Amino acid sequence: MSIPAIGPLVAPSTVSPSTSTSPAPSAGFVESLGKLLETTEASGDAANTAVEKMLDGRGEVHDAMIALQRAEFALQFTVQVRNKLVQAYQDIMRMSV
Amino acid sequence: MSTLNAALNASASALNAERTRIEVAVSNLANAESTRGADGKPYRRRDVVLAADHSFEKALGEAGAIGVKVAAIVEDNEPFQRRHDPSHPDADAEGFVAMPNVNTPEEMVNMLSASRAYQANLTAIGLIRELVQKALELGK
Repeated sequence: MSIPAIGPLVAPSTVSPSTSTSPAPSAGFVESLGKLLETTEASGDAANTAVEKMLDGRGEVHDAMIALQRAEFALQFTVQVRNKLVQAYQDIMRMSV
Repeated sequence: MSTLNAALNASASALNAERTRIEVAVSNLANAESTRGADGKPYRRRDVVLAADHSFEKALGEAGAIGVKVAAIVEDNEPFQRRHDPSHPDADAEGFVAMPNVNTPEEMVNMLSASRAYQANLTAIGLIRELVQKALELGK
């Protein structure tokens, strides 16, 4: 009974470079949070303007209501993001080392 | 949320367009008996021409919702109705008065159709609002 010899390991001649490049540094979280707050404030201002226009008789009721609704959505979204942020912070602070 | 935003914009533009239709129908009804307009002639019935507004689409790239805009408010060139009323100050030599070319039942139907369309767009906005609220609940 013959046992075949173990062949030499053939090293790959070329190693193809990894195609995945390190991701470009995304905008910092604080930066995007600031942007979110700016957007929320802008939609609130737009709602304010629409309501004022309506009261002056230059705007439509539905336009004002839609602007208010938009502002509400933006605010609700911001609040959700803030809740998640606080929750993440608390989770990390509770972590036992 | 950009798609829903585009849908909201489209519905808002439709609300404005339908409001214009209602306004014009109301003005036609109000002036159904006006024998003197700005040019001294009887009131001419007016009609709203609506057009698809592609400016949203361009602004938002591939958004699916296309708004609507009032392209023009045109005057109806149907001949005036003639009513025999010799005592009327605007009666001609034969005793006929030229009355506006407004057909009241027709205006009522136009007004009803515009008001239904307005309500339909309000429902659409309510639906979008519900969807966004449900989506926000994902974070809770």
